[in-house]
Amino acid sequence: MITILLGILEEGLVYAIMALGVYITYKILDFPDLSVDSTFPMGAAITAVAITAGMPPALTLPLAFFAGALAGCVTGFIHVKLRVRDLLSGIIVMTALYSINLRIAGKANLHIFNQETIFDNGFLTRIMPDALKSCQVFLVLAVIILVCKILLDLYLKTRSGFLLRAVGDNETLVTSLAKDKGMVKILGLAIANGFAALAGCVYCQQKGFFEISMGTGTIVIGLANVIIGTQLFKRFSMVKATSAVIFGSILYKACVSIALSLDQIRIGSIIITFPVIASDLKLITSILFLAILIAGNHQGRRGNGFA
Amino acid sequence: MKKSMTILMAAVITASLLTGCVTVDQEETTSLQTNTQSAQSEGTLAPNGTDSENLADGLDENASTDQASYTIGIGQFAEHGSLDNCREGFLAGLAEEGIEEGKNLTVIFENAQADGGTASQIATNFAAKEVDLICGIATPMAQSAYSVAMKSQIPVIFTAVTDPVAAGLANEDGTAVGDISGTSDKLPVEKQLEMIREILPDAKTIGIMYTTSEVNSESAIAEYKAAAPDFGFTIVESGISSSADIPLAADSLLEKVDCITNLTDNTVVASLPVILDKAAAKQIPVFGSEIEQVRIGCLAAMGLDYIDLGKQTGRMAASILKGEKAAKDMKFEVIEEAAFYGNQKVAKNLGITLPDSLVSNASELFSEIAQ
Repeated sequence: MITILLGILEEGLVYAIMALGVYITYKILDFPDLSVDSTFPMGAAITAVAITAGMPPALTLPLAFFAGALAGCVTGFIHVKLRVRDLLSGIIVMTALYSINLRIAGKANLHIFNQETIFDNGFLTRIMPDALKSCQVFLVLAVIILVCKILLDLYLKTRSGFLLRAVGDNETLVTSLAKDKGMVKILGLAIANGFAALAGCVYCQQKGFFEISMGTGTIVIGLANVIIGTQLFKRFSMVKATSAVIFGSILYKACVSIALSLDQIRIGSIIITFPVIASDLKLITSILFLAILIAGNHQGRRGNGFA
Repeated sequence: MKKSMTILMAAVITASLLTGCVTVDQEETTSLQTNTQSAQSEGTLAPNGTDSENLADGLDENASTDQASYTIGIGQFAEHGSLDNCREGFLAGLAEEGIEEGKNLTVIFENAQADGGTASQIATNFAAKEVDLICGIATPMAQSAYSVAMKSQIPVIFTAVTDPVAAGLANEDGTAVGDISGTSDKLPVEKQLEMIREILPDAKTIGIMYTTSEVNSESAIAEYKAAAPDFGFTIVESGISSSADIPLAADSLLEKVDCITNLTDNTVVASLPVILDKAAAKQIPVFGSEIEQVRIGCLAAMGLDYIDLGKQTGRMAASILKGEKAAKDMKFEVIEEAAFYGNQKVAKNLGITLPDSLVSNASELFSEIAQ
């Protein structure tokens, strides 16, 4: 049971990093950014290559972030400067990055099983007491996600952060403040894709390999995380949206995990068997997902209506 | 007040959703448990209640004969004929060694539906259920299983991994990198080229379509390119990124080549009928890489039988489970013998006669095209 919980937390926290980015584009900027589907594996590809080349694992984190941010800038540039529709500019970058990722990694699947990673290195082995060995991965992830969350919270409170939020709510206001709303959008996309690439970087180090198809559906997971999180926690004013998104990610992964282990649950000596087969997985996941959303809606109606 | 009400509502909805299923099944399982000693109550089983039956059987046997019973997790990367055959063969291989599902073996089977994130979560779940062995079918699943099992000391056996060395699942010399071993579905490239030369003495170019995201296909292509000149062929490759690209890629590839040969590329194999249709219209022969492809209309193949491959893997797994050998001491294995499969109906349609030397040694000849 503990292993399952740890597994859910580990999986959830990795995707939470990416969900923070999706939160910026989808919730703040109101920009359906599909490029994260490819910046996620891009982060992983860069990480795999950099670590194979002997780069210290910790340095791959900022490296992946900046590479992702660069890709985000491209999406922003295409949308703002070349006036391509938001959805389409995301698709263009996503499609282009597929080939670029293959170029970066050199092949479709690159492993780093025998290399040091941020989760498994000499330094950690020295400082980590034996009792905490089993949750080492979780602890490292928790530190990373906390740093990401705090930095993002702090940023959103700066002048530039306020402008970012203003662009999503009221573009005219930003223009009337004599600020370029296009630049703010590009900045937001850069941060969002930076987070997605960072998530890919962490994911790659945790799993030990890069796989070109690992990004497929990232945006779907990201949107689900953001919506689950913000829907469920919108009535709790003390929970910041960024924390809500992190909880949403963990909940989403919990749904998948429940769906996976639903065929057989053991409680003591009683074995409960459900008539589900492996291919029902996605159906069960979406039913659980729907249940959470309905629960969230109930909260909404009692309050101020739909968000 | 409102807040607590809403939380309550949410809890009730999820709880009712879950308990709805639980109570029914609970009755079933309890009735089963009371009945196992006297008689098998198959009538009360749910349509898919085989798992609980197996488990009850296993427990029963365990109690009476004191034989060891095992739980294994099989993770399959995608829903796909060859991989399904692998799994079938794997269980058959285990059964040959006396480890039978339903008797002394409980199988937890999961399919990742070609989703990397799910694959890793499946592996985590297996580890949490403390299975005795994880079987990973196809490369990404095997890698996920290995990455989880490294931490939990569960042996991993893989199959349908074309290049275990490139995937980091084996050392250059074939020895294990950890507590992991298995079988590779590496194609007998030279034998395939030799066969194509024998069937088509005048052909010069061979087209191969592959998915750029599949590392297995890339290593197979490299091997084809290296071996082709020895047989007087040139390889024309066509990389696609998804099944949506296949019709266009097939059209342009068919313009350039004398024949096409297939790899075990998952995306291409899944859309093989499209390619076969287009090739048939142009009277260009398509060669397969395994039995299923010949069954559905490839001219011939010097390939492997995934059921056999699975059986070989199953036997390896059996020796690990019985404690005769540890996975870390086993080299990964490949199928030694390539078998010839031919489709006479396709040959007739193309106006080609399959040479007797091949036909007489064929493992299986089809006289029809299965739809």
